[in-house]
Amino acid sequence: MQNTIEREITMKASKERIYEAIANPEYVTQWFPETLEGSYTVGEQPIFGFGDHGKNQICVIAAQPHEYFAYRWVPGASNFLGDVLTVPNTLIEFRIAELADGTCKVTLTESGFADLPTELMEAAYKQNSGGWDFMLDRLEKYIETV
Amino acid sequence: MIEATIYKALGDPIRLEIVKRLSITSTSTIGDISTDLGISRQGARKQLQVLVNANVVHLMQKGRQTHVILDTKTLQIASSFISQLERQWDNRLEALKDFVEESNSD
Repeated sequence: MQNTIEREITMKASKERIYEAIANPEYVTQWFPETLEGSYTVGEQPIFGFGDHGKNQICVIAAQPHEYFAYRWVPGASNFLGDVLTVPNTLIEFRIAELADGTCKVTLTESGFADLPTELMEAAYKQNSGGWDFMLDRLEKYIETV
Repeated sequence: MIEATIYKALGDPIRLEIVKRLSITSTSTIGDISTDLGISRQGARKQLQVLVNANVVHLMQKGRQTHVILDTKTLQIASSFISQLERQWDNRLEALKDFVEESNSD
């Protein structure tokens, strides 16, 4: 069964800019978590804050400027604080590829669902509907300010 | 919600093959399955037990034959969980796109 999610999107921006938006703590909070505590560097475990929706500790796995950025987290469980590597987690990977027409293709994969325990899946499932609304809301607010 | 159990049950080539065949025929017997896949009845039963535990299939005794029935509702639960996460990521990537494309015009 499906162990991996893969999504693709094309953006009119340089790979440098896109990478910064993903890997720079100042920029990532403009579109994804509201806050970021701790060091957002390889080997470290900073905390993504989602306002009222809780916090989720992540573990930065790889950062290769302008091409690849990866971290592990506990999916959907936006209340997980602790050592990410000691619990079942999923791997999030961002890949940036330049296309010929000055745009970039960003590929996102999240993998490791098959190894998640049932109770975590249940928690993730319950939280996801909320998370979905939350992201929509943020996106809307972001567009309104533009 | 038992997605993880479902994924584990389907995360095996033989069991996945059984489910694929059932999705075409919708019902089969243990005898058919062992013949089709070239495995012993014992082996087929063992694999089917895992699928039964995850509610992916149900067994029905009809006389001397055991019929295997696919539970499509269970499969829908598993796929809806994944599609929900996919929608979530689509949304986040859209937000990222908006952000980088906007900041381009700075």
